[in-house]
Amino acid sequence: MKAEFSPWLASQAAALKELIAQLSSHYDHVSILATDSRGFLVLASQHNRMIDRRTLTTERGVVVRVHRDGLYSEYAFNAEDLADPGAVAARLRTTLDAQLSVLSRVGTGVYDTPAVQDPPLTIFAEMETDGLPEETDPAAVMELLGSYSDRAVSMDERIVECQARVSSTHVNKMFLTAHRDERQSYVFTEASLFVIGSQDGRTEMAYADASDRNGPGIISRLEDQIGDTVKNVLEMLTADRVEPGEYEIITSPEVTGLIAHEAFGHGVEMDMFVKKRALGAEYIGKRVGSDLVTMHEGAACAVDVTSYAFDDEGVPAGDVTEIDRGILKTGICDTLSALRLGCEPTGNGKRQNFEHKVYTRMTNTMFDSGSDTLEEMIASVKKGYLLEGMHSGMEDPKHWGIQCIIARGREIVDGRLTGRVVAPVVMTGYVPDLLGSVSMVSGDRASFGNGACGKGHKEWVKVADGGPYLKARARLG
Amino acid sequence: MTTDRLIDLLRASRADAWEITDTQTEGWEFYFIRHRLDQNRARNVQHIKLRVFRLLEDGAGMGSATAQIEPTAGEEETRELIDKLTEDARYAVNPPWKLNRPAEVTGTLPAFDLSAMAEAYLTAMRDVPETDTEDLNSYEIFVNRHTERFINSEGIDISQIYPEATLETVVNARNSEREIELYDLHNAGDCDREAVMREVSEMMRYGRDRLCAVPTPPLGTADVLFSTRDAVELYKWFAARMDAAYKYQQLSDWEIGSSYEIREGDPVTLLARACLPGSSGNRLIDAEGAVVRDLVLIDAGVPVRFWGAGQFRSYLGGEDGYLVRNFEVKGGTAAEEELRQGSYLEVVEFSDFSVDDVTGDIAGEIRLGYWHDKGRVTPVTGGSVSGSLRGSAADMRLSSEQRQYDNWVIPHLTRIPGLHVTGIETSGT
Repeated sequence: MKAEFSPWLASQAAALKELIAQLSSHYDHVSILATDSRGFLVLASQHNRMIDRRTLTTERGVVVRVHRDGLYSEYAFNAEDLADPGAVAARLRTTLDAQLSVLSRVGTGVYDTPAVQDPPLTIFAEMETDGLPEETDPAAVMELLGSYSDRAVSMDERIVECQARVSSTHVNKMFLTAHRDERQSYVFTEASLFVIGSQDGRTEMAYADASDRNGPGIISRLEDQIGDTVKNVLEMLTADRVEPGEYEIITSPEVTGLIAHEAFGHGVEMDMFVKKRALGAEYIGKRVGSDLVTMHEGAACAVDVTSYAFDDEGVPAGDVTEIDRGILKTGICDTLSALRLGCEPTGNGKRQNFEHKVYTRMTNTMFDSGSDTLEEMIASVKKGYLLEGMHSGMEDPKHWGIQCIIARGREIVDGRLTGRVVAPVVMTGYVPDLLGSVSMVSGDRASFGNGACGKGHKEWVKVADGGPYLKARARLG
Repeated sequence: MTTDRLIDLLRASRADAWEITDTQTEGWEFYFIRHRLDQNRARNVQHIKLRVFRLLEDGAGMGSATAQIEPTAGEEETRELIDKLTEDARYAVNPPWKLNRPAEVTGTLPAFDLSAMAEAYLTAMRDVPETDTEDLNSYEIFVNRHTERFINSEGIDISQIYPEATLETVVNARNSEREIELYDLHNAGDCDREAVMREVSEMMRYGRDRLCAVPTPPLGTADVLFSTRDAVELYKWFAARMDAAYKYQQLSDWEIGSSYEIREGDPVTLLARACLPGSSGNRLIDAEGAVVRDLVLIDAGVPVRFWGAGQFRSYLGGEDGYLVRNFEVKGGTAAEEELRQGSYLEVVEFSDFSVDDVTGDIAGEIRLGYWHDKGRVTPVTGGSVSGSLRGSAADMRLSSEQRQYDNWVIPHLTRIPGLHVTGIETSGT
């Protein structure tokens, strides 16, 4: 079935176009992003049940962007009566003029930026989905999630809790200018299991997840992962800490994705180039990884939670080859950064929601596959670890440092897994050294779209990342 | 949809009880590249959060479900959503608990002016002293005025107005060979010009030192001294141990009246504070309508009471807590000079310092540290600090002096012995 476009947004289009017309007499350029995204979150654990019809991405609101005298300004609202566009336009001008008055007193100068071009464009995208969150029976979802939680806890007495949760959102966005009318509707869903074990005062957690640009039906993908997730927790309860040092490593696809995201995801967000905050700007055309490293980024390069038709500035989805056989080719860019840098936007201008500013943000960030098998990779390791499960990561685009906190490492000695597990593992290093050391790449790959990504420590948006197994060298602690 | 009309619809619905939080936010935002304005933004938004409750017929359970009511929603759309929520609530059933009832509110929140607060931040950042080698790369200023009304079916109807400000700062430092940056996110409930200037000046000093930092030596294990905002993460783990939701879900095994293990360290005393100067967490009531007040959560290492959501506090039999926003950790026994004795690694900048709130695992890549050893202080960078509070809390030393970071007051210095320090010159295979 197709995800039907929001009737509410459709009903507001004429008034919003009138608002653009009225503001255009005062500003050089006016654009509007209007949103109406519905969804639900259901959680079942041994100790709590919850249903919430809000998710990270549910919203209904409007943000207007205007440009005058080299300055871009925005006004976001959700309670104004759009039946009177003139009144909305007046409030927008009054509010922004009040800000300009304060800025004038402080003596602030403007980062002069030209007006964005506005060639005609029409997009109407209603994407395929196997279900809509607003039509899904929450009772059935709760029953299924509850059964997963019960099964996990019944597997071992050391398992004290299993939280099963699903979040599904029907995204509707409409981007309008004087010459553009773009509308999109799609559904994405993410589901996860968090299994918690306790033994001798020690508590550990492991997780399994599933995500897709699809309806809540993907929940069932968790079922086959329950046993392995419980096994992982039990192993972590008796795991040692890794002896700090540099090792041969094999990264599982979710850890590969974390590296993609932190290493050259944030490092080539080109709003950072404008601020001269990214070392990547100086390395375009230069080697940053081994010949085995190729990396893509874009809403169109994979199908997952952030595979939209156009970004929050109305730019169609892209597929950018960031690294081609070890050579850094280009970055990703939002519209205003592209104007400032003299390049084309890549469809990566994203907002946390209509209330937030656009930044250059990632969508799907993926390493390409190679030709090795996991078995061959393990057999080639003299002393090292197979790294599984990601907790968190942190970017450092200015200095190309990388920090990844990984759930566990499985020891490999003389080409064989020994059965010893270390947890957790902190992997740090210098990005070109890490990518330059990639010596084997598996032929399969996977993407992961659970969780959210911040810019610095705020501005949370959905992203997906992944790739194949990689063999490399890294510092672990 | 107005809140008053929403209440009428709820009274006519199948909901047995309900809570509404109607928050109107006026927000001003300013984004700078160097000192030039990249963009200005304004927000004028309203969020109406509705939670409805259904009691099971036998009284053994209470279901609930939550949604946002759109201010632009019509009566029919709102009624349909209420119907869905009352149905949803039948499937999200937990043991019953009592919603908060009206209680006397004695405190007040200071008045403030959004425009004046914005101008204070703009002026402070304009006036930050810069040099040829240390300056501001970029900064973002966010100031908000939230007008919040909480109403529930038990008779609570309280409004409060509170401020919230965020300042993101990126500082560059450079020498003839290279340029580096430092990042800071400052949250507050006012604009303390002196605090802003002090923090940015500290960042510039750290930038200078990072330019001459050498790779962190492979220390194996070392005493680590926390002297910046990162230390708050350590104390959040203690707060999580006392969160009723964590306790009820067996994510905390701490017991009231039973001290956690303490060996050579200072016992932690953790307080809930109704009000802290300039905190963005200052409120009259919490998110469930409970009146906020000063409470002791941990007294000299001994858990006293759990805090958090009424649902979980009720299950544990602790009715006098609330959803705490302001915390204070009392100072320890040692003066700062005492904690700076012997060899230790003082880390002032991590890429991202994290303490897992369930496991207590500590992790962070070192962007700038100072290795204090044999009377010498060496700036170091690279490598990581790791360990676990599960074992290390017993030996944590706290300075008697305190420092405030927005809604947390903590000891100025915290020293943890025996953490793992991965250096750049590796000792592994």
